Amino acid sequence: MAEGTTKLQAAASRRRSAADSVRFKELLSSIGSPIAVLVLWEIGARTGLLDARILPPPTVVAVTIWDMIKRDELLENTGITTLRFLVGMIVGTIPGTLLGLTMGLFRWVRVTLKPLVAIFYPIPRIALFPLVLILVGLNETSNIIMIAIGPFFTMLITAMAAVISVEPIYLDVAKNFGVKKRQLYFTVTLPAVLPALMAGGLVSLGLALLGTVAVEFLVSTSGLGYVIWNSWQVLSLSRSMAGLVVAAILGAACYLLMDWLERWITPWQSPAAKR
Amino acid sequence: MDGREREPPESHLQSVAGIKIRGLMKSFDVRPQPVHALDRIDLFVTEGEFLCIVGPSGCGKTTLLRILAGLETPSEGTVDFSINHSGRPLQSMVFQEQGVFPWLTALDNAAFGLTARGVDKSARVERARAMLHKLGLNGFEHSYPRQLSGGMRQRVNLARAFANDPAILLMDEPLGSLDEQTKMLVQDDLLKLWEETRKTVIFITHSLDEAVVLGDRVAVMSHRPGRIKALFPVNLARPRNALELRNNPEFIEVRRRVWEALREEVLWSREE
Repeated sequence: MAEGTTKLQAAASRRRSAADSVRFKELLSSIGSPIAVLVLWEIGARTGLLDARILPPPTVVAVTIWDMIKRDELLENTGITTLRFLVGMIVGTIPGTLLGLTMGLFRWVRVTLKPLVAIFYPIPRIALFPLVLILVGLNETSNIIMIAIGPFFTMLITAMAAVISVEPIYLDVAKNFGVKKRQLYFTVTLPAVLPALMAGGLVSLGLALLGTVAVEFLVSTSGLGYVIWNSWQVLSLSRSMAGLVVAAILGAACYLLMDWLERWITPWQSPAAKR
Repeated sequence: MDGREREPPESHLQSVAGIKIRGLMKSFDVRPQPVHALDRIDLFVTEGEFLCIVGPSGCGKTTLLRILAGLETPSEGTVDFSINHSGRPLQSMVFQEQGVFPWLTALDNAAFGLTARGVDKSARVERARAMLHKLGLNGFEHSYPRQLSGGMRQRVNLARAFANDPAILLMDEPLGSLDEQTKMLVQDDLLKLWEETRKTVIFITHSLDEAVVLGDRVAVMSHRPGRIKALFPVNLARPRNALELRNNPEFIEVRRRVWEALREEVLWSREE
């Protein structure tokens, strides 16, 4: 008996260490691939295989980033971009979610507003920019509106569809166990739509970043988008590349933050809870 | 007689506690023409009885249960619950497997009815935990349904209804999605729980074996619009063991007679 138990434990720990080594190899691969790209790029640029004037090697870009930080050009612009992005995200997602939930819950609201959504949603958002500029003026408000439009519609449509497609069995269970109609929203509808809202949030994040950089390309005299565009126009490609790298890092950080938020808000959906 | 049991006369029913279903009809107003789901259902379920209902697919058995559960209203007819349920809910339903809330842990799922009724936290946690324990789910209290197997999820579903401690349990094919062996194990757990509490149960199933193993009586419903076609008493001694009944001669005999009644209904459904 005791011997059997020991054998079992040994087998279990062997299995565990095998799983650990697989996980380690996976980690190595996922860190390795970006590093490999950087190394190839460096070699390519140094050996002249790639034109270093067009695609400066990573080490040069890194030095440029450092220079720009020292000359106070980068951090301030990164801060401005981050702020625009965050404000646009909040201004877009929160009203979008609330309106979408309302449209999902109340049929007459849905019937009334759906035609408007159908007209405005498919318009290429960037094509609205001149109109927004005329209506609001060339200022920070018009920038924020442009950034917010994408997340607004994404959350509106996601939330509405999620409410409509809540499994009827959940509502039956709640009714049968005596949940009052008004409590139903919080005990069933909200948790049932949360996973879809989190997915919509992730899409909104990408759209808001895109919107921020686009606005900064077009009209702004500050922010990472401005740095990238302006440096490119004066053919200072390593500076342009530096802006791009910082924007990519900013995007990745937002993505990780969202991932963490999702684990925290919908723990039953997290990979650890999947079989 | 061929084993069919006639309903006791009206005067007798006045004194016996139970669920009295009289002339129940239900049609759904859908296009192109209304669907008649139930046709004059008359049925008396005695308090403390375990009644199983079998019938061909689409015969309206789930509709009947949903009317009893208060999730649908009958088009005609009445349902009287002359069951004393002071201090406890009248009825709770055990839904199919996907009725477990994915966002609640096993414990919170089991305590769901108690939470909705405003039972205070320590009492409801204690009752839900005890019920999970009885169903062999100790150690899984804080797991989400996604982390559990089908059989375990269905046990959570049972725990939710039993922890709510209603006078009547309405079960809608709760074990339908389980594999044959897991099903037998959960049936056995269900029998043990029921024999402790002797609640009034109406249990809908597709499986004849399940109906005979669990029920005091088995009702056979006709094809749509559903009527009660026949009722068969199951005189198997309790406590029963779900794993060892299948070769019992009485079990085989009742099962044969139930199938006899059901077969033509199933064939009729196929021809339609």
